[in-house]
Amino acid sequence: MTDDAIVRVRGLTTVLNGKTIFDSLDLDIPRGKVTAIMGPSGTGKTTLLKHITGQMRGDAGSIEVDGQNVPALSREKLFELRERIGYLFQNSALLTDFDVFENVAFPLRQHTKLPEELVRNIVLNKLQAVGLRGAAKLMPTELSGGMARRVALARAIVFDPALILYDEPFVGLDPIALNQVLLLIRTLNETLGITSVLVAHELAAVQKVADHVYLIANGKVVAQGAPDTLANDGSPWTAQFFGGQPDGPVPFQYPAGDYATALGFPGGKA
Amino acid sequence: MTTRDDNVVIRSLTQIGACGLFLLTVLAAIPRSMRHGRETLRQIWFVGAMSLTIVMTCGLFVGMVLGLQLYDVLSIFGGTSATGTVVAIAIYRELGPVVTALLFAGRAGTSITAEIGLMRATDQLDAMEMMAVDPVAYVAAPRFLAGVIALPLLGVVFCAMGVFGGHLVGVTWLGIDNGTFWSNMTAAVDVHKDIINGVLLKSFAFGIVVSLIAVFQGYTTPPTSEGVAYATTRTVVASSIAILALDFVLTSFLI
Repeated sequence: MTDDAIVRVRGLTTVLNGKTIFDSLDLDIPRGKVTAIMGPSGTGKTTLLKHITGQMRGDAGSIEVDGQNVPALSREKLFELRERIGYLFQNSALLTDFDVFENVAFPLRQHTKLPEELVRNIVLNKLQAVGLRGAAKLMPTELSGGMARRVALARAIVFDPALILYDEPFVGLDPIALNQVLLLIRTLNETLGITSVLVAHELAAVQKVADHVYLIANGKVVAQGAPDTLANDGSPWTAQFFGGQPDGPVPFQYPAGDYATALGFPGGKA
Repeated sequence: MTTRDDNVVIRSLTQIGACGLFLLTVLAAIPRSMRHGRETLRQIWFVGAMSLTIVMTCGLFVGMVLGLQLYDVLSIFGGTSATGTVVAIAIYRELGPVVTALLFAGRAGTSITAEIGLMRATDQLDAMEMMAVDPVAYVAAPRFLAGVIALPLLGVVFCAMGVFGGHLVGVTWLGIDNGTFWSNMTAAVDVHKDIINGVLLKSFAFGIVVSLIAVFQGYTTPPTSEGVAYATTRTVVASSIAILALDFVLTSFLI
């Protein structure tokens, strides 16, 4: 466990619709680093991000973000905390009524009374950082997936947050856009000192950008470490996940009753 | 043992309860939504001004057909001079507020539900939450307020067009005396009973109900294309039933 952790998860237990998502999960996100959270589909990676931001609450355990216990925060305190957190949605979640400029300016207009000239300078600065200053007047429907994600990134960093959470930032990107996003994550981390947490499946991309990786499965952290060494740590979980094996600790079959019984054979198990 | 019918009843009651709680949330968010006054104005334009064409056209035709039918019936008793009076009272007390609300549910209610539903499906509401912007105050409350403000105004326009339609058929086409048409109408119509209680109060009540249903259905829709489609349909069905049921209740108190 890390001494200087910006996010500290202890004993998190969450059950949704009878399925245990987290089973006493412990996890630390070190301040100022890029941490990747990986794991099989449906293992609760995005759900974990939602717990960190207070969008969801667990059944037990604690989540501290910058020293504040998130589940215990009032809505006002939670909103104050969220002003210091950037969140990049998987589908970018740009506001479709507004153009690129207004999307990035939206948090500034809602939370500050800055003069228009300053708002303009901040927004153009962020758009320049993601390489889309020239697209300021485009509407979200006119953007490619990679461009939309970069606009969403500009919006997420408009308040220079202490922590930024990326939900599947590499999905659906071509190699050029993927490397642009990788470069941005690393640059923001190094130049602004932002702590980054990214949920991803792509080991090659994670290896390029992350300082630390957690592998989550069955509601727990099953492996963790530096991305270069984790894939070869010898555990069956990492062997299956990073080796792409269809069966293993994560079974091929979704849990089901007896097959023979389901097919109507008398006597059940053959 | 729970039957399918029990489930439908329980689901409907649960929805009504959730809708009531949502109304309290929206009302509590209205003071905060005043910060987004421009958004409220934009919504009044969208649900109010943009509904004018359909409301005016339908008002005109409702008044015309009413004038024609009444002239036909009243001529049996030699009472065609009362055409204007009956057209006005029927429109002010019932047809104006009720038909306007039904049109509003179909024209504006569905678009409010679809818009908010799509915002839910594309994570825009969650994105606002993550930017520490309350979506109830920014999205739901301005649309609710806009509906409550716009519907009485549209009701007045509908009634004016209805009376004009009745005049067009009764006076211009069928030859009722213009002075008789207006003097009988102004003598029989009571401002408090017919205009304030009939048009304005009923339209205000319908505005609350239709806007609440539209915003609630959009806000709570499952984030799928099928979910948005069902929510839009539910807005029309639930609003229509609520308007007609509430009209009976209001009329029984106001008459």
